[in-house]
Amino acid sequence: MVEIVRATKIYPPDVVALEDISLSVASGEMLFLTGMSGAGKTTLLKLICGIERPDKGMVEVAGKDLNRLKPKEVPVLRQQIGMAYQDFKLLPDRTVAQNIAMAMEVAYLNFKTINKRVVALLQQLRLEHKHQTFAGNLSRGEQQRVAIARAVANSPSLVLADEPTGNLDSKTTALVMKLFEQFNSWGTTIIIATHDDAIYRKSNHRVVELHSGRFIPTDKRTAKTLNNMP
Amino acid sequence: MKFLSTIFVLTGRNLQKTWPSQFMTLVTVSLSVLIFSFFFLIYINMIKAGESLGDDLRLTIYLEEEPVIEMQAELVRKITNFSPVEEIRFTSREDAFNKLSSQLGDNVDVLDDLDPSFLPPSIEVYPQKDLTSLTQIKRFSEYLSTLPGAIKVQYGQDWLERFNYFTKLLRIIVVLSGILLIMTTTFMVSYTIRLAVLARQAELEILRLLGATNSYIRTPFLIEGLLQGIFGSSLGLIALFFLFQWIQMHFTGPGFLQLIEFTFFSPLIIGIIILASIFLCTGGSYSSMRKFMRI
Repeated sequence: MVEIVRATKIYPPDVVALEDISLSVASGEMLFLTGMSGAGKTTLLKLICGIERPDKGMVEVAGKDLNRLKPKEVPVLRQQIGMAYQDFKLLPDRTVAQNIAMAMEVAYLNFKTINKRVVALLQQLRLEHKHQTFAGNLSRGEQQRVAIARAVANSPSLVLADEPTGNLDSKTTALVMKLFEQFNSWGTTIIIATHDDAIYRKSNHRVVELHSGRFIPTDKRTAKTLNNMP
Repeated sequence: MKFLSTIFVLTGRNLQKTWPSQFMTLVTVSLSVLIFSFFFLIYINMIKAGESLGDDLRLTIYLEEEPVIEMQAELVRKITNFSPVEEIRFTSREDAFNKLSSQLGDNVDVLDDLDPSFLPPSIEVYPQKDLTSLTQIKRFSEYLSTLPGAIKVQYGQDWLERFNYFTKLLRIIVVLSGILLIMTTTFMVSYTIRLAVLARQAELEILRLLGATNSYIRTPFLIEGLLQGIFGSSLGLIALFFLFQWIQMHFTGPGFLQLIEFTFFSPLIIGIIILASIFLCTGGSYSSMRKFMRI
């Protein structure tokens, strides 16, 4: 699903966010991307969803080389990727339902389907009572859940979540992880960037760790991660 | 179908959010259309009036002496050689006196002491209908004044010149108000769209990240411009129609305006004005999007 080959990302003037990293994520896999703040997790997710381009190397998603993607193909690819941003990227003057619906409206889903999915997702994340609340009036934890709901709403084939449990208590974290597990069981590839080891410690999914823009082996599950390929 | 329904919902949502600026634009577009159409309507009616005045145009050549039959034939030949005419009528001194007597009606006694031959003989020339330009009429009149025995040529020159200048002035006003219409409409619409784009910058950014296509983002803005064009021009024309009715009601009666039969725009011209407004508004919207929306 995702192939990253020797990708390097440098922010001006000379901040190396990622250096010569390679990663392969199979379709239907769930992967935890860990590391300290500033390790390059968010940059890596941005490369995968095409918000940033690597200065060197190649990023391929669903068989498409993002460097060679035509402008017309970008929206099509982005509709296949659901991203839950660390800063949520919600519209504060829109209701919770409208914020979630946006992801499906851009794919021209009919309004009945959109409403059904919004209600179902809100129930799953225990936010049904916030359906008509403006996103700006929610707590950070609630905003985070809305951002996650929007990321999975359009049933994307790849979900990227940047610190999805950063503002949640353990009970709500369990709800969110259950949602991710459910989507993963349906075949969705999921990459979760987190520094919260509680959410991956007991899981059987692969974990890769970033440190100063490079992968470091954490345990046997990182076997597929190729670091500093010759 | 899904595309259309989604786009219409989005447009409705945008209009709901930005209605104060949309309303101001609508008023400006309507006023611009009203100003332009007002002058254009007067201009069209003046042109029509000019054409109908041309139907009654006649040039009178006053002669020194009454021409004999051979001379009359010679004069007709000379006139028609210069320009084809509808009709040429000769009026003798006696006919002229009788005509004046009948025109005076009850006051005919003022002619009692006058010699019935005091009026000069004349030729009335009715040019063809296509002779409408003042320059052509002037040239024809100058030629007629060179005919043998001609003293003077009259055709209501002062009045025609004034009418001609008036229609020229109207043409300039129509062109200026047309430019005003183009400038205000495109500027106001593009400015409104620019404000809407700036106000929704965060939303557009999120839409792009979610995979919105260019047409998904741009079409609602284009529809907003289209609606401004349709409603703005329609309101302007409706206002003009009521103004036209009011003028007809209050200014019909004896005088200059009675000479002209005022008519409203034909459906074709109404259609052209509405289409032009739609084109200008949509164009303004499109150019604004190209400038301020980087997608």
